[in-house]
Amino acid sequence: MPETAVVARSPIAPAPPETVVAGWVVSGRRSTAGLVLTDCTPLAKVAVKATPHGAMQERLHVPFGRAARRSPALQAPGDALLVIGSGPGEWLVVAPPGAQSRLLEQLNAAAAGVTELVTLLDITHGRALVRLTGDRSPDLLAKECGLDLADAVVRNGSALRTAVAKLATDLVRDDRDGVRSYLLHCERSSGQYLFDALRDAGREFGVDVTGFEPAGI
Amino acid sequence: MSRGDGGTAVSPAVMSMRLPSQPGEVIDRHTRFTFRWNGRRYPAFDGDTIASALAACGERVFSRSFKYHRPRGLLTASFLDPGCIVQVGDEPNVRAAHRLAEPGLDVRSQDTWPSLAFDVKAANQLFTRFLPAGFYYKTFIRPHRLWPAYERVLERFAHGGSTSAHLPVPERLRAYDKRHANPDVVVAGGGPAGMAAAVAAARAGASVLLVEEEQALGGHLRWGGADELAAMRELQRRVEQTSGIEVLTDSVVLGRYDGNWLAVLQRGLPQVHERLVKARAKTLVVAAGLIERPYVFAGNDLPGVLLSTAVRRLVNLHAVKPGERAVILSANPEGDAAAADLERVGVTVAHVEDVRRGGDVVRVRGRGRVGEVQLRGGRRLECDLLVTATGWTAPVSLLTMAGAVPEYDPRAARFRPDVSRLPGDVLATGGILGDGSLDELLAHGEATGHEAARRARDKAAAVPVPALSVQPHPECFHGPTHGFVDFSEDVSSNDLLTAVEEGYDSVELVKRYTTATMGPTQGKLESVNVVAIVAEATGRTITQTGTTTWRPPYAPVTLGALAGPVREPVRRSPMQAWHERHGAIPLVAGAWIRPDAYGDPADEVRAVREGVGIIDVTPIGKLDLRGPDVPKLLNLLYVNRWSKLDVGRVRYGVMCGEDGVVIDDGVTGRLGAEHYLMSTTSSGAAAVWEWVESWLQTEHADWQVHVTPVTTAYASVNIAGPRSRQLLGRLVEDVDLSPDAFPYMHVRTGRVAGVDGCVVWRIGFTGELSYELHAPASYGLHVWESLLDRGQDLAVRPFGIEAQRILRLEKGHLIVGQDTDGLTRAFSAGLDGLVKLDKDDFLGRPELTWQAENKGHARLVGLRLADGSVVPDEGSQLVADGSRICGRVTSSRHSPTLGRAVCLAQVTASLAKPGTEVTVRLVDGRSVTAKVTEHLAQVDPEGERLRA
Repeated sequence: MPETAVVARSPIAPAPPETVVAGWVVSGRRSTAGLVLTDCTPLAKVAVKATPHGAMQERLHVPFGRAARRSPALQAPGDALLVIGSGPGEWLVVAPPGAQSRLLEQLNAAAAGVTELVTLLDITHGRALVRLTGDRSPDLLAKECGLDLADAVVRNGSALRTAVAKLATDLVRDDRDGVRSYLLHCERSSGQYLFDALRDAGREFGVDVTGFEPAGI
Repeated sequence: MSRGDGGTAVSPAVMSMRLPSQPGEVIDRHTRFTFRWNGRRYPAFDGDTIASALAACGERVFSRSFKYHRPRGLLTASFLDPGCIVQVGDEPNVRAAHRLAEPGLDVRSQDTWPSLAFDVKAANQLFTRFLPAGFYYKTFIRPHRLWPAYERVLERFAHGGSTSAHLPVPERLRAYDKRHANPDVVVAGGGPAGMAAAVAAARAGASVLLVEEEQALGGHLRWGGADELAAMRELQRRVEQTSGIEVLTDSVVLGRYDGNWLAVLQRGLPQVHERLVKARAKTLVVAAGLIERPYVFAGNDLPGVLLSTAVRRLVNLHAVKPGERAVILSANPEGDAAAADLERVGVTVAHVEDVRRGGDVVRVRGRGRVGEVQLRGGRRLECDLLVTATGWTAPVSLLTMAGAVPEYDPRAARFRPDVSRLPGDVLATGGILGDGSLDELLAHGEATGHEAARRARDKAAAVPVPALSVQPHPECFHGPTHGFVDFSEDVSSNDLLTAVEEGYDSVELVKRYTTATMGPTQGKLESVNVVAIVAEATGRTITQTGTTTWRPPYAPVTLGALAGPVREPVRRSPMQAWHERHGAIPLVAGAWIRPDAYGDPADEVRAVREGVGIIDVTPIGKLDLRGPDVPKLLNLLYVNRWSKLDVGRVRYGVMCGEDGVVIDDGVTGRLGAEHYLMSTTSSGAAAVWEWVESWLQTEHADWQVHVTPVTTAYASVNIAGPRSRQLLGRLVEDVDLSPDAFPYMHVRTGRVAGVDGCVVWRIGFTGELSYELHAPASYGLHVWESLLDRGQDLAVRPFGIEAQRILRLEKGHLIVGQDTDGLTRAFSAGLDGLVKLDKDDFLGRPELTWQAENKGHARLVGLRLADGSVVPDEGSQLVADGSRICGRVTSSRHSPTLGRAVCLAQVTASLAKPGTEVTVRLVDGRSVTAKVTEHLAQVDPEGERLRA
């Protein structure tokens, strides 16, 4: 028999104990540390490509370099949505696990009547997604990323592409309840590497791993 | 509290020279421990440096000199001290006058044999006249054949400690680390002016990084009297209470580069041995203070000759009595203060020789330490300590790196920076600029810090910065006798004169010829004296002579600090952990970790040929192509035609550069009306994506195409072998696998092993009936295990990269980059039938048209060796006429299917005809014959198996 049932697995090995959430094997660990790292790969991820500054951008209403929790083109309860302007004419829409079909439907509807080429692609399984939360998160990232993450430069809601631990990584500042927080995503196969590098860099700040919870993004 | 190092049979030393508590001492007398020095236990207090702890026990000799192995002791009692470089455990070249002592440290002298006290290599002193400056440029030259012998001898005399494979730091520490910083203002130097600048800048709203080389802020105030200590504590309090200042002590700014990119080395952290901080500062304030310079006279390197600042550090910071009976050579108030300090703690000050009144020292005598001082006029005094206070050097390195030029100021008897040449983002303050009272230094620092913040934050009105006065100082560099100028390199004033006499009349040439200023102190102690002596010898002024060039790093830095932690991204498929659990040998292929083989690759080959095997091919590059103009793009990129590719069909394509050279290959399938999935080689995935985007964005921005890399969105598994259809059929739910419904070179999408969204290709790199399955990557392990589970009765087994390479070679499938190189055009890769020169246009068409017309190009052929048991190494040359190279073997393996070697080779056109006999030169020099085969494929050349 296979060692696994039909469940999805992140590229990042879950810290014990393992549990299954929304069809994904995730870590059931809960940490109260001041600086925590969470594998958020199970979140649904849909890539949108369209013409920069075109009609689709108007409908999404999120410019390049910014991330927003709301978009006129999409409906989601509470904070269960993040639209990231990840490149010129490129967006990544993140939603709770399993929401990709609903996202694609809404995005297709939003793209209706748009004359420019619009591509919608479910890349849930193609990207590793990690959240780093805590006041010391900029200090941790300063060890692996050359960007100035000061408030004046990278304010909450900023989205950018950079190198973290020498790896091409998309970085989104997405504070949680007033606490500094970053989403980092990279191509899937390097997810474990990125996670390990962040854990290693965060040792001096007491970084801990906490498991994925499906409630929010 | 007391801690120890585990003990040794020798009785521990006692702190015979430890003074009673001093007002500014930095030692904690409540925390006492021991460490070892050359095997013997020594006590120390928390806060002691290694050298201060040893000096407190009466030790005076810490090392032997570079060339003559003369005994050396404390000189500066600071990081720069050239006489206190030691080995600590496995860590060489540790600055003992700076590194704090720790319980249990194993400290040893470097490069002494058999002992520090009796060093055989001190015999070099007997041959001083034969070892002048530059002797190594004149000796060891001939005969050339003896150089290896010379080298071995010189190695034995090379100075420095030793390293081992072990980490030079305790296991609890990571050795090296890096971080980035982006402060508004970096202040280099935490003396009074630096602290005042940092506080002012932070109060003006700037973020500040304050970098101090010592273990605490304070600069020269640390070893001052009551007033200085009070001022220091007040400044420290302000720094601590002002938000926006990050203080790095035991740290040094190594270099300043364009755009105020600063390299800062941070030492002594609790969790890491050394850290390189890459700081991008909007404004740099250099507040490096002044460095006291030694005086040149006979015997000036004897243990017991100390600078005045060294004496004040020992007494006031570490409560160590530097001697019992002292003579002071003083040219400035610091010398006078040192004399006062010594008297206060009970050292007999036998005499103060005042340079300001014409005094001078002729020589010092003693056996291994100071015993007697001879003054100008012949007077001789017995003593065990000579303190010199003869002038200062401004450490202008960071400023000169920014463009400032040091100019000699005869009033101050030192070089001072011409700051008018500095860029706007670099400022200076404190002693490096000028003298002044403490209040004047603080006022200057405060105004400079304020101005630095203004410049960093683009505020309008400039802040007026008061000028610093310069106090007169006698020009005293050397006495009437020759002595050492560069203590690190054992260069004497006589060596400098010799160099000048030999024609090296430029200070830059003298430096290179004698190596003066090239040792661990890097000129900070000796530069001014070198320039002064060269100036005298050449009859020029010091201004005319000028200085040598200051370059980064400001202080020596370990290679480990520059390298930092190992961060090399690696890529793993969703099944890689499974492979490793099941005994696969990992293969590093670019960034990917892949399974090379699970056992014997030949067995894996046979399993595929006779039954069914599965291989993880996730790294194969995959690009999702969407849009109405995808066929135009494919026609541009590939050498073959793409206008008519029906939905569900797959085509093999080869990409060439504009020079016609093959750059990648792979299959592309049409999944929908305007939806294609392109595969590339594993190693070429990123480059092809860039290539495609480059053409789309620069030349064909009007084309309606979106390209998205999806390489790792899918876990890819190749199911190969005559039973592959049977196996896959057990898992596929909505795809008809029958040969008629799903023929060779077709693609379908469907549900496999309960996983939706899979892409199934019927293609075959191995030459067998095979399917390539792309499953959403998060379900990759499930699909992989399901295939093995459901195929148990079919004897399915995994196979690795090595088996795949054998299989494809038997089939004659080329690998781009292995069977081609950076010069291989398409017709040389055996792709004649694929290239469609009658297409409108494609990349490489003109060059390939030319190649097709000229015919004389090399070709890829199959080889069959006469002796099938011989497998020539890849890269083996093909030769004709005995030695003329006419090709090379590009791929070779033993074929388990055929029981003999199979090879691909690039050969010149004249030898490419099937049946031609060629000679293969093996790496051991033997030659074997081989024949060019009819086809590249030597197994199933007709392709019946893969089309089954």
